[in-house]
Amino acid sequence: MRGKSLSRRGIYPFRDEESMESLFLQQVFNGLIVGSLYCLIAIGLTMIFGVMRIANFAHGDFSMLGAYIALYFIVLVSGWFGWIGSMIVAAIGVGIIGFFVERFLFRPLLTRWTDIDIIMLSIGLFILLENGARLVFGPTPKMIPDPFSHKSIDLFLVSTSVIRLLCFFFSCVAILLLQLFLTKTKMGVAIRATSQNRNAALLMGINIGFIYSLTFVVGSALAGFGGVLYGTTFAIFPTMGAMPTLKAFAITILGGMGNIRGAIFGGFILGVAETLGGNYISMQYKNAIGFVIIILVLLIIPHGLFGGKQKS
Amino acid sequence: MSEKIFRIVLGMVVCISLFIYGGRVNAADPIPIGILGPFTGSIAFNAEEMKKGMMLAVDEIDAKGGIFGRKIELIFGDTEAKPDKGVAAVKKLITRDKVLVVGGGYASSVNIATSEVCQNERIPIVVAIAISPTITNRGFDYVFRTSPNSPQFLTGINDWLLKVKKPKTVAFLMENTDYGRDGEKIWSAQAKKIGAKELAHLYFEIGDADFTTQITKLKELKPDVTFNIASTTEASLIQKQAKELNFVTQWIGVGGQFTEAYFKMSGALCQYAMGSSLEPTLAMKNPLVADFVKRYEAKYQKARPGIFSSQGYDNIMVLMDAMKRTGKLTGDLQKDRDAIKEALRKTSIELTQGKIEFDKNGQVYTVFPSVVQVQMVDGTPQLFIIYPPERASATYKTPLPWDQRK
Amino acid sequence: MERKMINRKVLKPIYLILGIVILLALPWIIRDRYFQHLMVLSCIYIILASSWNLLAGYSGLLNLGHAAFFGIGGYSSALLALKLNISPWIGLPFGGIIASIFGIFLGIPSFRLSGPSLAITTIGFSEILRLVSMNWVSLTRGSLGLYGIPPFTAFTFSESVSIRFTSEQNVYYIVLVFMILTLLLLNKLIHSEFGISLKSMREDEMGSASIGINASHYKLTVFMISAFLAGFAGSLYAHYVRLISPEMLSLGETFSVLTMAMVGGLGTIGGPVVGAVLLTFLSEGLRFVEDYVKIDIRLIIYGGLLMVTILFMRNGIVGMCKEVSKRMISKPEA
Repeated sequence: MRGKSLSRRGIYPFRDEESMESLFLQQVFNGLIVGSLYCLIAIGLTMIFGVMRIANFAHGDFSMLGAYIALYFIVLVSGWFGWIGSMIVAAIGVGIIGFFVERFLFRPLLTRWTDIDIIMLSIGLFILLENGARLVFGPTPKMIPDPFSHKSIDLFLVSTSVIRLLCFFFSCVAILLLQLFLTKTKMGVAIRATSQNRNAALLMGINIGFIYSLTFVVGSALAGFGGVLYGTTFAIFPTMGAMPTLKAFAITILGGMGNIRGAIFGGFILGVAETLGGNYISMQYKNAIGFVIIILVLLIIPHGLFGGKQKS
Repeated sequence: MSEKIFRIVLGMVVCISLFIYGGRVNAADPIPIGILGPFTGSIAFNAEEMKKGMMLAVDEIDAKGGIFGRKIELIFGDTEAKPDKGVAAVKKLITRDKVLVVGGGYASSVNIATSEVCQNERIPIVVAIAISPTITNRGFDYVFRTSPNSPQFLTGINDWLLKVKKPKTVAFLMENTDYGRDGEKIWSAQAKKIGAKELAHLYFEIGDADFTTQITKLKELKPDVTFNIASTTEASLIQKQAKELNFVTQWIGVGGQFTEAYFKMSGALCQYAMGSSLEPTLAMKNPLVADFVKRYEAKYQKARPGIFSSQGYDNIMVLMDAMKRTGKLTGDLQKDRDAIKEALRKTSIELTQGKIEFDKNGQVYTVFPSVVQVQMVDGTPQLFIIYPPERASATYKTPLPWDQRK
Repeated sequence: MERKMINRKVLKPIYLILGIVILLALPWIIRDRYFQHLMVLSCIYIILASSWNLLAGYSGLLNLGHAAFFGIGGYSSALLALKLNISPWIGLPFGGIIASIFGIFLGIPSFRLSGPSLAITTIGFSEILRLVSMNWVSLTRGSLGLYGIPPFTAFTFSESVSIRFTSEQNVYYIVLVFMILTLLLLNKLIHSEFGISLKSMREDEMGSASIGINASHYKLTVFMISAFLAGFAGSLYAHYVRLISPEMLSLGETFSVLTMAMVGGLGTIGGPVVGAVLLTFLSEGLRFVEDYVKIDIRLIIYGGLLMVTILFMRNGIVGMCKEVSKRMISKPEA
């Protein structure tokens, strides 16, 4: 009998086998949706780390900026057209911001100082952006108006809202586009080459400075794009970037730092692990699941599930 | 090593001079009253509501000549809704600004700590907005509270559950703070009393934005009633995500979430939600309240006063009333504080929440919140009292499934 | 030139004694209670920042979960006092020891992980512990925190004469003593063989391994010492403020500490001192500005300071002072 101990933890015995299964599927589905959003942020982070060895703690804040940019854009152009437009505008806007951040803040440090300094600089940036946003935008959370009025939709055994389904769709499209970019275009291949072995790439005639900028811009733009989707699914507030950053780091480590495919897998795995863990183990420690995973992975396989990159 | 020490001393000299220069000069004339509140952070807008109500009270008193001819000066200490910052803020008010008494205060965890500090420092504190019973049941004679505590807030709902709704199954989705857990305890006991099955106890942190896991689970369990103690943001997000996941239940909260910001964020999504409220706009039959609402709207350009504004107003009025009844202020801080403390114990005054009188623990016991439900009027959500029948302005409506709602 | 050297040798102990005398007399010179409160906090944060500096500045180990040690020390000592009625004087070292044991949990992963990986692990560590302190309500009262923590037990000499530690002034002397002891300890450590090996390990781990320095041994030891000091600071804090909450273990707390150490000067003894005092007072001074300007700029300034320090003043304020004094000394010879 499952009886007492489960209900004391807030988990009540299910009424029948069927509903147990459908709850499981539903939670997995929820996890995949959230996971896709995590992926967007994690991919940018791991890409930047792979190419430039920068662990950017302010990465999640780029998502936050993207979300706010989208919000202001939607005020001008409403409806679902405005929503999609805002994603593009946000990605471009954050990409531009990323360019300046990389060029004037991180680039000068790359040759001079150690890993620790770069992390600390990004922490400083994180504190600045988060509180600056609080000052400029106010601490009250804002919602992106849902062009579909939060309508829910049923698909076979699971259900969700129309808007979430679309977010999921757009995330997957973005991830696919990025993969195509990295494998099929010259610039993308150059990025991967630099990530694997910087000196060899230099010898092959690749302009490292340009690649650095490109990587950072693409990574940040992706984060900004993800921020809009994140903000649509949940809400937009100045501190919204903190948790996704930490989770993105967890995913990056899980998948291997610098490994983009690893980040994609990791993102979905984390999303599902969180919802299932929250459902079956404990709601309160849901956010800790990511951290527990990192620690376990790091202790057993320091280079992540898919093996890390070799340092050049 | 010596360089370091030399530098410490140098640094200190600099700091000292900055400090002294930047310090407050205590003027002899206005009476300094310390006011605590989370003026930055996620519930800052609620604290602003409280502040607005307080400023209205100060205007009223100053217009009538102040206290013994002296104006009132409110000195605000920011607690950031965190206990340690709250303690630092109240210590500063006491030691640096040398306030006469302390008022305000929002959030139980902060106020449990700050009221203890005030008791140790022997300065009266009248807490405005916090419901944990602990604040006034430690035998601290300098601590008073003008807000009802959680058992008082929830008796109406408990009564209603027993006599009207009679749910067979209940669930809990609580903020993981004492605010949430205190209410959970009370409702859990009530559920046992009326024989309702407790299907799940789920939690979330302040600042969480993703409730899909919890709501999915609740949807599976289909409780008649879901108790949800949350503040404005989380409460609103929960309503939104409930619709997205097509989950319908009778939501019952304490009532602290029914702020203007909440209604703006949720719109029609919060229809049918219930709570226990002291909303002044629901008590317009009372001429005192109607007058308060009118003056508030006049001063703040058509802004609607909410529960926090009226609680802030009452808080200041009680302090002023007690000060007046001491007869005079000697100028000896400790003597005056003790006199005010004695005067506070004998308080009996009609204000916007109702009549304010303190029991032997400093807890107000004469204020009775009403059970309210959000119902739609011309497309905008509004609160209506639905219980007890003698105070009700509308009848209870069972929540309809989402596709049947207009 | 010889005369200059003689003068410096004579001046050094004079500076020392002068400094200590001023520190001891401070609460009698400035009687403002609020100032004394800030002095107490400064001393506690000096200990905390110095312990972080030991890891990051001297050993090259970036610990972004340092607040966890601070919190563990505080909670341990508070719980011992509240639940088992153990005197805070005993609770002090206990808090340190328990934190030190947790230090082992971070020390071991540090053998294999470096830079960013270690940093994330430390964050994970402190976040998990913070969530535990928030949710293990039966032990820690959750987000309500532990209030009513007893102050340091009074020294009673007779029926009417006793020194009680409920005022800022008296607690100041306690924390001052421990702060000085901490600095002396760290100074000794840094200038000992242990410290030199530590530095070589920081600069080049593989190279130092080739001359027989077992990095793992040093990393573990340093984590344990650092954790002990942080836990000790946590206990001091707990019995002074007499209230602790899970906020003590938050990332924000770690960031404050690291800003203090970095702005003051990483890898120096004086750095954390300057940083802690400066930021504690700055934080309060900014409140006045905030009252006038009506906006919350304190954290923005913290973030900005941190960035400016890294970009332009890598070695912090102390580093800058050393540069300046070096240039002043070398000038006449030019």
